[in-house]
Amino acid sequence: MSQKPSLEIAIDAFPAKQRPRWIELATSADHKDIGRVMIGASLGFLFLALVELLMMRLQLAIPDNTFLSPVTFNRMLSDYGATAVFLFAIPLVLGFFYYVAPLQIGARGTALPRLGQLGLAIYAAGATVLYAAFLFTPSEAGVNPLAPLTELAFLANNGVDAWATATGLATLGFIFVAIDLLTTLRNMRAPGMAWRRVPIFAWAAAVGSWLILFIGPVLLAALTMLMIDRNYDGIFFADGSGGAPLLWQHLSWIFYSGTYMLILIFAFGAIAEIVATFSGKPLFNRGVVMGSLAAIAVVGTLAWMQNMLTAPIGSGWMYFAMLMSLALIVPFGLIIFNLISTMVGGALRMRAPLLFAVGAISMISIGLAAEIEHSMVATAWNLKDTTDATAATHFALVGGAVFGGFAALHYWYPKMTGRTMGESLARISFWTMIAGILLAFVPLFFAGAGEGQVIDAYKFFSGDGVDAYNLIASIGTLILAIGIVMTLVNAISSRENGPAAGHDPWGGDTLEWFALSPPDPHNFDVLPDVRSTRPMRDIRLAIAHRSGRSEEPARERQPVA
Amino acid sequence: MAPHSPATDQIDTLLWIGFIAAAIVVIAINVALFYAVRKYRSERGTEPRQVSGGRKIQFRVGAMLTAFAALVFIVSVIFTDKARESPTTGSDGLAAAKKVPLQIEATGQQWLWRYDYPNGAFSYYKLVVPVDTAVALDLVTTDVIHTWNVPDLAGKRDAVPGKTAKVVFSTADEGSYTGRSATLSGQAYAAMGTEVEVVSAADYQDYIEQLKTDIESAQERVVSQIESGNVP
Repeated sequence: MSQKPSLEIAIDAFPAKQRPRWIELATSADHKDIGRVMIGASLGFLFLALVELLMMRLQLAIPDNTFLSPVTFNRMLSDYGATAVFLFAIPLVLGFFYYVAPLQIGARGTALPRLGQLGLAIYAAGATVLYAAFLFTPSEAGVNPLAPLTELAFLANNGVDAWATATGLATLGFIFVAIDLLTTLRNMRAPGMAWRRVPIFAWAAAVGSWLILFIGPVLLAALTMLMIDRNYDGIFFADGSGGAPLLWQHLSWIFYSGTYMLILIFAFGAIAEIVATFSGKPLFNRGVVMGSLAAIAVVGTLAWMQNMLTAPIGSGWMYFAMLMSLALIVPFGLIIFNLISTMVGGALRMRAPLLFAVGAISMISIGLAAEIEHSMVATAWNLKDTTDATAATHFALVGGAVFGGFAALHYWYPKMTGRTMGESLARISFWTMIAGILLAFVPLFFAGAGEGQVIDAYKFFSGDGVDAYNLIASIGTLILAIGIVMTLVNAISSRENGPAAGHDPWGGDTLEWFALSPPDPHNFDVLPDVRSTRPMRDIRLAIAHRSGRSEEPARERQPVA
Repeated sequence: MAPHSPATDQIDTLLWIGFIAAAIVVIAINVALFYAVRKYRSERGTEPRQVSGGRKIQFRVGAMLTAFAALVFIVSVIFTDKARESPTTGSDGLAAAKKVPLQIEATGQQWLWRYDYPNGAFSYYKLVVPVDTAVALDLVTTDVIHTWNVPDLAGKRDAVPGKTAKVVFSTADEGSYTGRSATLSGQAYAAMGTEVEVVSAADYQDYIEQLKTDIESAQERVVSQIESGNVP
């Protein structure tokens, strides 16, 4: 744009910032600063989760291994689960939502910026509690610690208290960020941006925020009950005096199922933006994709009892859980169909964001297809709590949060930093990750479904017939970790060394590409009237029309100038 | 898993049906994805078609997906109902269990399973049951949640404190079947397993009678030692 140099002069005219950059970041209430800190922190915790996963896979590389003691293994398992879900996946999702969605809707900030800042601070406090406790007595109770194992009678040290405090604080932080995001999305959309014109990723942010507002308090309630049980002689989850151990399962699985859906809603929102941009086409059947994302949030959370098919619940509830889980085939199927239809007839530029997006669709499809068998009641009686479940969950969630998250990272990195991430390292990283995830988790399908290897166990025995599967899985996890670390290194080094990107490196259709890279604190100097779902394209067409150059074919609809 | 009971036969069949359904989904998505990514490159040099959707094709795809989901649901319900049917005791089975299944209580505790037989005898780790007989296990636990899991004979069931879960199975094949508990229950969880030995009805009777006399004589020995003041 021609005004750009003068804008930069105007910015330079402001007095230089007095305080160091990290203090600016830590005290900023700007959604872009908060979003960047959340994304950065979550990628750091992705590294820690990988280290913990690798420790466990090292223990499970050979039968009867004594590398980790049972207690150490259970601690790794518990902290891996808490780190991957609460410190990596959800903050990554929220960080991107919080950074990108206000820009996409043409907002000059967020509605309740201090609330977002508080959310980040409380999330940071939760992370600090988890890793401070890691140095002393971390939880030993597993990824979703099922009552009554978490009761004082069975785990008397403070590990479970620390786990509950950490996850509770993090969840509270997410709720605050979600409130700010939702208020912004409802009230601060640019003129003309009706809900039907909201970019698909911003719509995913709205759906995801509503979901967090529903599932977050459910987990907080369960954690409060757990803390009362442990510290004030409560009986919520203790059997024998009116308590119900299954209550914990219901409440916690509502949260975990909702989180599963949140991660996939984020992934499909980001993938939809990327696929549309890199095909040069509008998203196929936008309205259906929007409706499907909302349906996934509702139906997916209602399917929480899919995780309890071996528990003593009524068979009617089991069929209800199966109905809800299988009903998800329709919205997920429609989204994937429309994503592929968007590519058909397009002109695909196979850059790193699209590469990761396509990989994410492929990996998520494996995970969701495997979940079909975990939803069919009788097969779940066989497959539940086997490594088949580990593999299914990891394909869907690594596909969503890591592949989908990296697609979003490569796509919006130029907007956040003004530089593009290195393309060749991104490609090497992608193919390493694909090889890694297939080697790491496909063998676990065979070990779980074929040989019945159980989940969460600190060792397996040489007679179990799963030696080769586990060895391959351990090697695959190492390869996956190497691939992920390559992208993390790429993200760090590209901040200084990446090729400079303009304000719109990919030719995107949404308004975040109208802002500078990185955007000014107030995001936009001027805002266009939004007249379609592709305001940035309208602007490009208008400029081309005015300057007499015909970049777009003549048969195109004339833009509203 | 190698199915050895009517219920696990159903589960095994359904597992294969589910596997085929999942394979269809994975192959359909990935083939379409691969085709789209290969064919519609910008290197083709054609302008992207600016189509924003199609109502007709969307309804068709939606109807197909709904039909697929409904089919999987109905098939699952049919096989699950079959797998839940209580088996009956056959001609080779225990005569006493002809009308009602043989009741055995299985108690999970960190990190062992205890089995209580109808005649008062009990055993740890190993359960002995008669062949061709409907066996009803009442699963309870004295501490945390344990999952009773012998995949060749029955589906998994959780023993949850305060609740009694039921597993009913029968098998026509004598032999030994093993499985491991499947819910994290503390430090020695990985070592918590169980074994079910299926023997003839006569051998079963002999076994639990022998078990009972062994337990009684051991108890008498302890009582007599206490009475004689010869307590270790």
